[in-house]
Amino acid sequence: MRRALVDVTAAELIKLRSLPLVLATALGTVLAAVALTVATTATAASAGSGQVLAEAVPFLQVGTVLLGVLTVAADYPAGHARPALVAVPDRRALLLGKGLAYLAAASLTGAAALGASLATASFGSDAAPDALLVLGAGGHLVLVGLLGLAVALPLRSLVPALVTALGLVLLAPPLLAPLTGHARLLPGPAGGALYHPHRPEAALPPGTGALVLLGWIALITAPAVAGFLRRDA
Amino acid sequence: MSRGRAGAPLRGAVGGEFLKAASLPATWATLGLTFLGTLGVVLMSARREARLDPGAGASPADLAFDAAPLGVVGAVVLGVLAVSGEYRTNSPGAGGGRQLTTTLVAVPRRSAVLAAKAVVLVALVAAGAAVTLAASLTLARPALGDAAGAHEPGALVGRAVGVALYWALMALLALAVTVLARGPVLPLVWFLVNGSVVSFSALLAKVTPVARLLPDLAGLRLFADASSIAVDDPLAPLPGGLVMAAWAAALLGVAAFVLHRRDA
Repeated sequence: MRRALVDVTAAELIKLRSLPLVLATALGTVLAAVALTVATTATAASAGSGQVLAEAVPFLQVGTVLLGVLTVAADYPAGHARPALVAVPDRRALLLGKGLAYLAAASLTGAAALGASLATASFGSDAAPDALLVLGAGGHLVLVGLLGLAVALPLRSLVPALVTALGLVLLAPPLLAPLTGHARLLPGPAGGALYHPHRPEAALPPGTGALVLLGWIALITAPAVAGFLRRDA
Repeated sequence: MSRGRAGAPLRGAVGGEFLKAASLPATWATLGLTFLGTLGVVLMSARREARLDPGAGASPADLAFDAAPLGVVGAVVLGVLAVSGEYRTNSPGAGGGRQLTTTLVAVPRRSAVLAAKAVVLVALVAAGAAVTLAASLTLARPALGDAAGAHEPGALVGRAVGVALYWALMALLALAVTVLARGPVLPLVWFLVNGSVVSFSALLAKVTPVARLLPDLAGLRLFADASSIAVDDPLAPLPGGLVMAAWAAALLGVAAFVLHRRDA
């Protein structure tokens, strides 16, 4: 079983690496991190690494969400879903392999983007970055992308999955924040507690924020996985 | 060539594109979610207004139009959907090709395909805007209850037309970019990120006043109050709308040229 899982994960990683869109997403995320850092340090004279993270990560999460969506949705239009299931009839193994492949790709992309951002920021100031905040930012990037993967499983298509995931993560918080205090429970702001240096009064504490984000992932992943295991391919 | 012969293919192409759009579940899902989402935001902000400041006499029209940015997202998604399906690879069971090759066999004049898509898109967005705005304007007053101020009916039609125009122009911009990108990812990411609070254009406007001429900022005054725009000294409604329309026309022109010259 473990051997099979390694093989499935390797196959999924090869699939991801061979997609030009995935490479473009990873590269674009890193380039965006550098550009955003330059913009932040240029406009705010004394921008510490914490502020750089707080400004950049809301944009960078688009990259990992897109990676999550592509891990699943790239199978569907070209009809790779059926060959994949013929090769790996055990759907749980296939899904686990996909999840692990996503985690590897997203961790790599997130680490590269955050590293590039901090390296760029270190030209301006010599304050050491807060390791806990950097870890939090990386954790948020990887976790929030899992939402993209989970949303794509039942929707099976790139455009609906991307719009749904980005709508939940990116569009809903600023739209709802002025209307209701509960907006802080949305996945974006909840995970945001992990990497914001100065917590606004309304925001959740980091531990609660991480739990709320994990709760969102569980809430969306559980029915998506149940559907994937039973549904007609 | 007589006018009748030139007009007939375009009419046919428009009919075809309408059928394509109407047969996509995503089209109806987008229209429906935009409608429900906008009404939801109107209801929530009315409840908040009535609770926080019952005596202020909030304008129901302002409440309804403040929810308009959500419609921009719907319009952009419709614009992307109009083109992205053409470039999607079909399943092997359906021949494995792309819909675009079939479309171009049916309508060999590529500019006619693009024109037909634009016509259908504008019609869909206009219909969506009419229904959504009518519903949210109707809903805003009873939702505010005693907190509602006076209606200013004179400006109402103008602002509603402004909203519909802004949505339609954003949809056309998204359509043109999707043709250039030959896929949904780039336009969706660009327009959705830019449409949220973390807007590139608004960031750029802090650095240089030229950013006011970018399409999404130029057209803002078509429906928004100058006070509710984050940019200093935004363009007035008419010049702003014209600048935005010029952007849409220019990008559609480039898209038509590229579509015409490029290998499908």
